[in-house]
Order: sequence, then structure tokens, then C-alpha cells
Amino acid sequence: MATEDESVDQLRQASGTRLRELKGQLFEAALLGATLVGIVSLLILFGYIAFDTFQPLTASAQWYLLYFGTLVAPTAAFTWYARRDPAVRAVNAKAFAVVFGGLAVSLVTYVVADSVSPYDVLIYLLFGAIPPLLVGVYGRTTDERTYTGPAIPVAAVLGLGVAALLYGLVRPVVGIAARWIAYFGITTLPVAGIIGFVVARRWSPRHGVMATAAVLLSALLVAGGLLGVGTDPSFWVVLFSTFVVPVGYVVGSTVGTNSEGRIGVLGPFVLIGGVLAGATLERQLAIKGLESYLTPTLLLESWHGRVASEAGVYPQLVGSIVVVGFMAILAFPIGISAAVYLEEYAPKSGWGSRFATLLEVNISNLAGVPSVVYGLLGLALFRRTLGFGTGIVVSAAGTLGLLILPIVVVSAQEAIRAVPDSLREASYGMGASRWQTLRNVVFPEAVPSILTGTILALARAIGETAPLVMIAVATTTYTPPEGLFSSATALPLQIYAARSSALPEFRHGVVPAAAIVLLALMLVMNATAVIVRNRYERDT
Amino acid sequence: MSNNEIATDDGIDGATTTDTASNTLDPSGDPLVDHDISVEGSDSRSASSGKTVIESRNLDVYYDDLQAIDDVSMAIPARQVTAMIGPSGCGKSTFLRCINRMNDLVDSARVEGELRFDGQDVYEQDIDPVALRRRIGMVFQHPNPFPKSIYDNVAYGLRVQGRDGEVDLDQQVEESLRRAALWDEVKDQLDKSALDLSGGQQQRLCIARAIAVDPDVILMDEPASALDPIATSKIEDLIEELAEEFTVVIVTHNMQQAARISDRTAVFLTGGELVEYDDTGTIFENPEHQRVEDYITGKFG
Repeated sequence: MATEDESVDQLRQASGTRLRELKGQLFEAALLGATLVGIVSLLILFGYIAFDTFQPLTASAQWYLLYFGTLVAPTAAFTWYARRDPAVRAVNAKAFAVVFGGLAVSLVTYVVADSVSPYDVLIYLLFGAIPPLLVGVYGRTTDERTYTGPAIPVAAVLGLGVAALLYGLVRPVVGIAARWIAYFGITTLPVAGIIGFVVARRWSPRHGVMATAAVLLSALLVAGGLLGVGTDPSFWVVLFSTFVVPVGYVVGSTVGTNSEGRIGVLGPFVLIGGVLAGATLERQLAIKGLESYLTPTLLLESWHGRVASEAGVYPQLVGSIVVVGFMAILAFPIGISAAVYLEEYAPKSGWGSRFATLLEVNISNLAGVPSVVYGLLGLALFRRTLGFGTGIVVSAAGTLGLLILPIVVVSAQEAIRAVPDSLREASYGMGASRWQTLRNVVFPEAVPSILTGTILALARAIGETAPLVMIAVATTTYTPPEGLFSSATALPLQIYAARSSALPEFRHGVVPAAAIVLLALMLVMNATAVIVRNRYERDT
Repeated sequence: MSNNEIATDDGIDGATTTDTASNTLDPSGDPLVDHDISVEGSDSRSASSGKTVIESRNLDVYYDDLQAIDDVSMAIPARQVTAMIGPSGCGKSTFLRCINRMNDLVDSARVEGELRFDGQDVYEQDIDPVALRRRIGMVFQHPNPFPKSIYDNVAYGLRVQGRDGEVDLDQQVEESLRRAALWDEVKDQLDKSALDLSGGQQQRLCIARAIAVDPDVILMDEPASALDPIATSKIEDLIEELAEEFTVVIVTHNMQQAARISDRTAVFLTGGELVEYDDTGTIFENPEHQRVEDYITGKFG
């Protein structure tokens, strides 16, 4: 017994132990502090901006009660209800994705087509899409398929080239049609085709044809009805085709086939209904609401330098989307091709491999080059060497494209490297060529992470200011860009310009509100990236 | 050699030592199967007959400066199971990967000497490795089905070879799955992801995938070493059946496995040297070289 007591005492003799424990706890607290410093300061910043934007103290208590009753409580209750059942939860997530995704697609399509002319978009879409479609259909009917695969992108490029050549001839002819017909061609035709294809694969070709016809007819009906009451149906055709139709398809097929989770489709409608009900009641009951700076005027009107309530950033918003969209078209194919070469084709031994390593190291370093320097590069390349106009969309997109190129290359490389070699070996072992292995095995595995990386690169580009200032993009413009060679605009530039306004309501109202819009754009992109990644991670 | 189990005096003596040795070598060794080192062969495929399909002459392989295969000459007969055994790093996998030129994928690999398939040197300039691999299928150590459906996995080879128009794909998929003894387990879930299958099923799927294109030769690189004992014995039964139609070359760490399923055995020892190559019975019962006997009885390796 005595020895046991002794050993227990030894365990308790703990002045040294306590000190050690204290040290451990202090270390842990320091780590926690380090983690929190960044997050808390960001939260303070966002809170500050949000406070300035929304002016939460201006609203009455009734207003808060009203929205709590119509929006917060029902949405929270439904979310809590939906989270309990995995089937409902999955359907709820899907419904949210299709409703807000469809809304985003239709808005972006409309504003971009509206600013650059829907006729131009229609011409390039038709010439770019029909030749590859024909090649694809031919490829399905014939056995000789060696050349049809590579012919599809070639046909698309040729079609776009022909469109550019014949533009002068075709444009007046297409221009005869009403604007809404151009929108019909841009949105309804592809959507009807995709719906038809999906339905045909899921049920039968006959159903597919019927679905396509139904979409086309109902879009025509919507347009006809609006023309009857004397409204321009352009926007509504776009909204119907890229929002109502996909939402209707997903909701309809889910309700029809998924009896367990069907209640989940209500989720987004509870949210939207809450906002609408709140807004209606607010007006009916004359409740004093927020005197927010984030208003429809801010989103839909042009800039106004003197009256804060009339200042809008619509041209800048569209300009940012156009510039970043065109940048994506320029940078992503190049970046992903470079990543594929470095990972799949570059030699792994000898002098070739040293060269490849040198390239990789340089690309990684380029990812860290300050954006001002890229602005200088853009200025030298596009303005001085190529002689493009000052601050046009092509230069802006090209400069930002160079800026994100290294990020795209590195993230795509990581995505490709993450595909296990055993899959490549399996494919080669089956007698697949390198291209077949890439297409059938490596790409399908790598695409989700490539997408994630590229969307994050987009989010980085949309916030860039310095390179655009360097290539002299106008900070304040009153119209969105009308084409690739017209003046570019971008949201961060307007924020940068407005922050030096003499009027306090600009500095403390419009600037933070525009910043919130920019942050919301980035947040949407990042959320898309996360959703894409999670979705595919679950699938495999 | 006959289809009766032969346990020679030496064999029984050596068996106990071999057991412990191979169990340490290969933890997934098969305790369910009788532990005697015994040699099975079937009447239909006698070890001495069969024309040569693959023949190497003075084959050397280097990875940069490291020699992995040292002057190997051997002839592999058709429609038999030829096993290659030897300690880790002895070059047996490298040799296997030379046969269908999978080593081409390793930039640092360099091959000298001749390797003939059907009398044709596969390392000649104008030989297309892609075409070669269409006639020499391969099954790997870890089951590596594509993250596609079961059906698409089996159809993959025919599709990439552009033969999906010539044959009845559904029928070929069913036939291959039947031959791989997997059909009954998966026939109702052909459109399910292959990754949902168990490890043993995945490996049989990989075998189905390899035989779907009707190759002449199937190379197997330790196909059962990542599997549990029951799955292993299923794969072994399968290999014996496959040898009626295909030439099977198998690399294994598990000497009992080599003894059970192979007709001929090649023993590689360190340095990429082929020490002995003979009928499996001879190798396990009466090897010519002391080093081989030491290896087989567990005194070395």
C-alpha cells in the first residue's frame, strides 16, 4: 500500500506539471487569438460598411417586426424543418440553386446582351453554334468518327470567323427583326434545345421533342401576350426562358418523381414570398423603412455626381461583368492548356524536365507579381505595342487575363495532379491514347477543382483596380460598354473615384453601398465555387 | 506434372518455413487455403507445350542510371499462367511493364535488347504502343476502376478502340462480366458507380474490363495483394479459368499463390536478374539454384 501511495503522490506532485499545463494553455490561447485577429477585423470592416450602406437606425421598430414576421421567421422555420430530413434538404438546396442560378443567368444575359446589342450576340451565337452542332449530328450518324471530335471546335472557330467576315452583310438583315426576337434566339432556342435533350435522355426522344415545342410555344405566347398589351417583351422573354423554364422543369420533375423530398422545393419561394409580402405590407401600412443607400436606383441607373440618391452604378456593374466575362474567355483556355501541358505532356526527365520546372517556378512567381505591374504590362502591350484605344474592353480584359493567368495555371495544375496515376495507367493499359485518357479519365475527374480554381480567379479579377487605372480605364462613365472595342468601365474604379467626392453622403453612403454590391458579386462567385466543389466531391 | 496435388518430401519440409516467410512478406496472404506448398496444373494445359507468345532476349532496363532488369531472356508460352516471383525491387514488375510498354510512360526508363510479341519486336521504331496495349491487357495491384458506372468501365476499352459500333456492346459487357465471375453480383446495378463495389469486386471488374477487348495476353501486377483472403481466392480461381483462353503473366509476392495457380514460374532476385525459370513444379520442388531454394524456403528475401 505504501508504495502505491507514494506513486500516487508522485503523480500529484505537480508544481512543474501545472506550469507546463499553463504554458500549453497560453500557447493555445495565443493560437486562437491569431486566428481571430483576421476574422474579427474583417467582420468589423464589413459591419462598418454594412452600417453605412443600410443605415439600420433609420427604420422603425415596426419595420423590423414586419420583416421578422414575413421573411426571417418563415425562412428560418422552413430551413430548420428542411434540415431534419436529408431528402428534403437535398431538394431544398437544388431548388435554391436553380432559382437563384436561373435568376442570375437571366439577369446577366439580359444586361450584357442589352449593352452590346442583342443582334450581335445572336449573329455570333448562331454562326458559332450551328456548324459544331451539324458536325456533332453528323458524327452521331456515321461510323467514321476519327475527325468529328476535333472538327467540332474547329467548326465553332470557323463559324465565328465567318460571322465576323459576313457581319456587314448579315447585321442589317437580322436587324429587321424586333429586339425581342433576337432575345428569343439568344435564350429561348438554346434553353428549349437543352430541355429537349435532357428530357429525351431521361424519358424518350418523343417527349424531348414535345418539351422543346412546349418551351418554344409558351415563350411565343408570353411574348405575344405582352405585345398585345403594348409592352416590349424582350426582358420577359429572357426571364421566362432562362428562369421560369428551368425552375419549372426542376420543380415539376422533382415533385413528380421525388415524393420524399418534394416539400423542399418550397424553400426559395418562402424566401422570395417573404420579401414580396414584406414590401407590400410596408407600403400598405406606410411603415417607415430603411433609408438604405443600396436601392434599385443604385443598381439600375447611371452615375450622378451631385445627388447621392440619384447616383447609380449600372454601367459599372455591366462593365465589370463584360470585362471579366471576356477575360475568362481569353484566359481560361490558355491557362488550362498550359496546365495540361505541364502536367501531362512536359518531359519528366532530362533537359526538358529542367525547362518545365523552370517554367513552373516562374509561373508560381508570376502569381505574386503586384497588380500595378500587370497594369504597366497591359499599358505597354495593348496601348503602345498593339495600338488599341485607351481603356477599352479588350485591353482591360487582356490585362486582367494576364494577371489571373498564373493563378489559373497553378490551380488547374493542382487539379490535374490530384487525379490518381492509377486511373491514367488503367486507361493506357486499355489501349487508350494520351488524348483519350485526358478526355475520358483525367478531365472528368479534374474539372470540378479546375472550375473551383477558375471561379476564384474570376472573383479576384473582378475586384482589381490598380491595373485598370494603369491602362487608363475611365473611372466614371455614364453608359455600359457597347462592344469589345468601346470604353470599359468597372465597379471598383467607380468606388475609387467616388471616395474622393466632397459630399459626405457619397463617402459614407454610396461608396460603401457600391462596395457591398462588389462584395456581393464576389460572394456569389465564391459560393458558386464552393457549391460546385461540394457537389462533385459528394458524387465521387 | 499432373492435376493431383503433389507434395514432395522437400515441399513438406519447406512449407512451414515458407509460410512464415510469405506471411511476413505479404500480410494479405491467404490463410483459408491449405498451407501446403503444392502445385496444381490442369490436364488441358501442360507446362511443356504451348507456343511462345512473348519472348525477351537480353533485355536490359534502366531508370536513368539505375539498372532494373539485367540481361533477361525468357519465353512465355501461350494460354498458360506464368508467374514471376522475387523480392521487392527485383525488377519483376518492370519486366511486366515492358511487355505492353507501360514503361514508356516513365520518361526516365530506357530499354535495351529485344522483347518479341508474336515474333515482333515491340520496341521497334514503328510499333504503336497504343495498338500493342490493345492486344495485351493489364490488371494492376490496386483495383483502379474509373469513377464511372460499372457498364461504362467494362465498355471503356471497346469505346476507346472505336469498336463499340462493331460489336453488340450490351452483350460484350455481359459476357465479360460473366467471365470475370461478377455478373450475378452486379447485373441489376450496371449503371451504379463502380466505386460503390467492394475491393474484390472492383478487382474482378478490372479483370472484366481487361478481357472485354479480347486481348491475347493479360498482365497482372500483384492483382490480389490489396485484397482480403476470400476475394483473393476468387481472383485465383478466375485466373486459372482465364488461362484457358488467354496467356496470363502474373507478378506476385505470394509464393503460395504462384505455386497454386501458375504453370511456369520465373524467379527474379536482386538486381533485376532472372535466376531461374522453369515449370512451377520444378521451381518449388527441385530448384536448380541454391539462391532460389533459399528464397522459396524463406531463408532469403
